[in-house]
Amino acid sequence: MLRILLINDTPKKVGRLKAALSEAGFEVIDESGLTIDLPARVEAVRPDVILIDTESPSRDVMEQVVLVSRDQPRPIVMFTDEHDPGVMRQAIQSGVSAYIVEGIHAQRLQPILDVAMARFESDQALRAQLQARDAQLAERKRIELAKGLLMKMKNCTEEEAYTLMRRQAMSRQQKLLQVAEQIIAMHDLLGS
Amino acid sequence: MSEQQNSRIDTQAWVAGSEAPEKRVLNLGFMALTDAASVIVAATQGFAEKHGLTINLLRQASWASLRDKLLSGELDAAHSLYGLIYGVQLGIGGAPATDMAVLMGLNQNGQSINLSHALQLAGVTTSDALNLRARQKGARLTFAQTLPTGTHAMWLYYWLASQGIHPITDVDSVVVPPPQMVAHLKARRIDGFCAGEPWCAQAVDEDLGFTLATTQSIWPDHPEKALGCTRAFVEHYPNTARALVMAVLEASRFIDENDENKRSTAQLLSGREYVDAPLSAIQPRFLGQYQDGLGHAWLDAQPLRFHADGAVNMPYLSDGMWFMTQFRRWGLLRGDPDYLGIARQVQQLDLYRQAAKALNIRIPAEQRSATLLDGKTWDGSDPAGYARGFTLHALADSDAVAL
Repeated sequence: MLRILLINDTPKKVGRLKAALSEAGFEVIDESGLTIDLPARVEAVRPDVILIDTESPSRDVMEQVVLVSRDQPRPIVMFTDEHDPGVMRQAIQSGVSAYIVEGIHAQRLQPILDVAMARFESDQALRAQLQARDAQLAERKRIELAKGLLMKMKNCTEEEAYTLMRRQAMSRQQKLLQVAEQIIAMHDLLGS
Repeated sequence: MSEQQNSRIDTQAWVAGSEAPEKRVLNLGFMALTDAASVIVAATQGFAEKHGLTINLLRQASWASLRDKLLSGELDAAHSLYGLIYGVQLGIGGAPATDMAVLMGLNQNGQSINLSHALQLAGVTTSDALNLRARQKGARLTFAQTLPTGTHAMWLYYWLASQGIHPITDVDSVVVPPPQMVAHLKARRIDGFCAGEPWCAQAVDEDLGFTLATTQSIWPDHPEKALGCTRAFVEHYPNTARALVMAVLEASRFIDENDENKRSTAQLLSGREYVDAPLSAIQPRFLGQYQDGLGHAWLDAQPLRFHADGAVNMPYLSDGMWFMTQFRRWGLLRGDPDYLGIARQVQQLDLYRQAAKALNIRIPAEQRSATLLDGKTWDGSDPAGYARGFTLHALADSDAVAL
């Protein structure tokens, strides 16, 4: 029976994942402690598979585990090492990262990944950010319009106008476009 | 109307010899660190749009995740540890060996090595005292860095070794994500760490630790973060890659132009979407104003910098090779790689030169020379000899002989 170490240190709700994997016949050890103990826990538990949230900060700690274990008879590798890169892409997009002990075949890993990917809740906010925006030309025009208005108002050069707008945007933690829109709105309000 | 213009530009992208970006919307990854400033400013302050790009900024929770997303294509390019790019190129770590590219240097200097308040109370406030403490029988000291092949591991190892402390046999080292360093120091799980800002300044501000050495004291104007991507990305989208370099170069120049721009940048960085840390932890060291937590304050002669007339941004061959020499020195590589050959493939010199030339930015020589704090000079001329020239090391030669 494959032994799975489930590292659970992000707000993602993976509560049912452990039960689902157990029901599917796997031995699951749930780990949700401080990340610094991870190398020691991996050594103690000696899992065949480690499942971890792609967004977990502990991913970097796993890098250390990979390097340490390369000199032991059971090196741990990212599951994609010699397998279908499509599987890695799909898993990472679903938010699952898996490390396996070398020698375990992809076929044996697939049912574990299927359960994990189904249970990981993907972060909708992040997906929304990933939606490509294609309004760049329109944005550029608005910025140039605002720059032109500012040059007239302040009687300054193009470079000076950009710098003024950027400083204003950055000190308010805004994008340049937002400041451009404010300048245009103010200009409309005051009339010309 | 704008739709028509949009499609016209898209069409232009397919015209042979056109300079227009082939891909106009990019997903760019970064970690919550002040040295991500130039990519954040490029993405949000109109520099990307000027060069025909829209950059979606995506903050990452770990370097490993950033790397995997670069390899899977979910990220097009990223604010990367120099050593991360070379670790992937050489197949060291959790990812399969993949051809990688350094488009440009993003910054130099500005990281530091810090010790816990407990060590301070025990009188361990100098390198000599640390050396004695590390050799004491009993509990071994534990130091944290940010990735086994990362720059912070290399600065920590280099500094410890220069003080006579073997970083692998004399102390323990662990990996901790940068934003968690302070929490680990507070929980007394680590005795010291090497990381970027603002996390070191925050440890000092909260009286949890003190800064023992800046990384610029190890190597003045050392390479740190790079703009990284896969080689496949550069090959598929050369115009996009050049436009991205131009946008980030202009943002870098803007930040370094004067202190007022730096202050505004620090304010932007402190925002929730970016570094998400108090301005008080970000701004002083961003302007080179240090205090070490032991009562010393100074204006650093080699502070974090982003441009310096292009001296920061050149993807020097010698910078890339240096990380390979240190991987070799500490046994992460079991044999000598083709140092120069690999650096020539990874460092995108031609692309960088085109971008810099178009912006009238000075283009320095492709190798540079520096003397590090142990008195050794690195100029890229004999990487294999340099890698073997250290008293303290973990050269793993048995494998090389067995081959």
